[in-house]
Amino acid sequence: MSTGTDTATPPQAPAARRGPQPERGPRADCAADSAGGITFDVRLPAPLPSAAASPDHGAGLLLRSRSGDPDGPETVRLPLAPVAGDPGTLRAALPSTVRLAEGRWNVFLALDGAPPRRLLPGVNDLRSLMDRVPHADRTWLGVYIPYATKNGNLSVRSWQRWPHAEAGELRVVDGGLVLRGRLYGAGVAPGARLEAWARRHPDGPPVVVEAVAEGTGFTAELPYPPLAAHPVWDLWLRPGGSAEPVRVARILDDIADKKRIFTYPAERVRPASGDGPDVTVTPYYTLSNDLAVRVDAQD
Amino acid sequence: MSARSSWDSGNMHISFLIHNGYAIGGTVRTTYNLARSLAEQHDVEVVSVFRTRERPVFDPGPDVRLRSLVDTREGSGPALGPEHSRAAEVFPPEDGKYPMYSALTDRLIGEHLATTGADVVVGTRPGLNVHVARQTRRGPVRLGQEHLTLKTHSRRLKLVLRSAYPRLDALTTVTEADAADYRRKLRLPGVRVESLPNSVPRPEVTPADGTSKWVVAAGRLAPAKRYDLLIRAFAKVTEQRPDWKLRIYGGGREHDRLRALIDELGMYNHVFLMGPAHPLEPEWAKGSIGAVTSSLESFGMTIVEAMRCGLPVVATDCPHGPGEIIRPGVDGALVPMGDEDAVAGALLGLINDDGLRRRMGRAALEDSERFDPARVGSRYESLMRDLLARGSRGLHRTRGSFLGSAYTVKDALWGNGLRAQEGRA
Repeated sequence: MSTGTDTATPPQAPAARRGPQPERGPRADCAADSAGGITFDVRLPAPLPSAAASPDHGAGLLLRSRSGDPDGPETVRLPLAPVAGDPGTLRAALPSTVRLAEGRWNVFLALDGAPPRRLLPGVNDLRSLMDRVPHADRTWLGVYIPYATKNGNLSVRSWQRWPHAEAGELRVVDGGLVLRGRLYGAGVAPGARLEAWARRHPDGPPVVVEAVAEGTGFTAELPYPPLAAHPVWDLWLRPGGSAEPVRVARILDDIADKKRIFTYPAERVRPASGDGPDVTVTPYYTLSNDLAVRVDAQD
Repeated sequence: MSARSSWDSGNMHISFLIHNGYAIGGTVRTTYNLARSLAEQHDVEVVSVFRTRERPVFDPGPDVRLRSLVDTREGSGPALGPEHSRAAEVFPPEDGKYPMYSALTDRLIGEHLATTGADVVVGTRPGLNVHVARQTRRGPVRLGQEHLTLKTHSRRLKLVLRSAYPRLDALTTVTEADAADYRRKLRLPGVRVESLPNSVPRPEVTPADGTSKWVVAAGRLAPAKRYDLLIRAFAKVTEQRPDWKLRIYGGGREHDRLRALIDELGMYNHVFLMGPAHPLEPEWAKGSIGAVTSSLESFGMTIVEAMRCGLPVVATDCPHGPGEIIRPGVDGALVPMGDEDAVAGALLGLINDDGLRRRMGRAALEDSERFDPARVGSRYESLMRDLLARGSRGLHRTRGSFLGSAYTVKDALWGNGLRAQEGRA
């Protein structure tokens, strides 16, 4: 913030423009382990006196939920400990066994006595999250993906799903889509189906097609014409006749926001009812990385 | 000015002049890498003509002083006044950044160069090299850097450079091929023309181990990068190896066209436009092969970045950089330009042979160490020392000015009707 060295800027100008902002903290490098846990290495600009950095003295990494809880945001505190041989680094671990509610969590550094400071993203090594396959013997699935926010801060996205239906290849065919996916935490039984529910009509009826089991995987072909009646459809997998439906999502990799990266061609479709104008149908991922289908009027 | 005594004792004062050190760009990144490395031994400053952000996007490091001459951040600082609306006369109109320069920048850059206490002044683009050549006070070494290539400059810009550059002590290019062009085509007697590559630091992530089934490319989504060629080639790869996928990092105006091509080829489960990523190293490390299919790479920074992360790189043998970086068959592959079958073939060669891919990945790690900032920095350092030791500024300068004028006259005689640049400073 050495605006004083700038020949053309009065020192007070930037602060006046930005308004009050919480002080930003140092950078944290995040690394994912193969089980899905995250290690945060906070890079301090200068090494702390050892006492101040000790967990006993309150050094902690705070994960603060962004969801609007009326009692104030939920906060999870992870102890920060010095890293042997690296005096400028404090480390905290978010093991895959810790359950963070699904959503977005902002990351803060709390040092002894000082107000928490928002951490900035450093080098995020998330390669172990790519093409992830959860262990079959687990009893729940937590997914944590650190990412840089639009404002350049560090946050973590979290999902809690079990069973979980992971969307894989999605192929747009003539007048519909073929979805291949994998189900974790339950078996795909005979009678399994893919169900599309109109988002604004929770009472249904859904558009239902058969989901064919292939080992732990499933394949289903969803025709577009019956979807023409509503603008947005959410996709669920019902693994067996009487089983609870499972939301189809794509969360088993390193990409926090799928929406802009995983995109699919739009198809022009004649409504099943036979009347009304043609529509354009496009599969997409929601902001929560759930799979949905959008129906737009033709331009 | 005690410059001479300070560099004699080993410590040089080095001053870089850059267009906008607060922006995102290859020149900024490579300048900071070099400045940071030189700052371990020397007194280094970066003078940015413009300042568009509060903080620089790339970190020049704690020992490099960064300052700016003109603050153009919105709503900050005093109005720049009428002087900034008058056209620049020192900064040449033939440099593409001309519209941003003005009588104000002429004056502020001129004042800086006339009073600098530096032993070595380094310009980082043609227009600023012209400033360095014309306005630096007598004494400091004048070093111009070419980050693009002579070949890609307009004829008019070449004439300007031929007129001004004789007053430089040295000019550096990022490839041997470009240095040869400058020596042969621009004829700069008395000016040392040397090729010094861009530097890329050791990444902060563990290098790739060659096990992932991803090909990675990165760069601006611009026509010259030919990502359309890469996507078409990759469609052929997936016919044989549908288990492999491609990530392209970067943003740019080709995005929508590339998106449409991916959809048209039905590659939407295999090719992903990832958007910009910063830092890029962890993204390279997710891949097992790097791909560069440009029609033009003045250096080929992304090739070196990928190699430093342990990836063998398949690249088109385009002018100028790739052929000077990649050792074909050892740490990567060079394929003819514009040939999607050749790109697909080279990728499949690495995809289908796990042992070869890993060996070449390891070779890429070793071979790319020559681009480490410490190695490139020490080459710059010895060039600067040589130039300082040569010292005979007066004689060379007079000769340089004379030759510059002579060429200007000759160019005018060719009947090009181009305004003489000489004497406008």
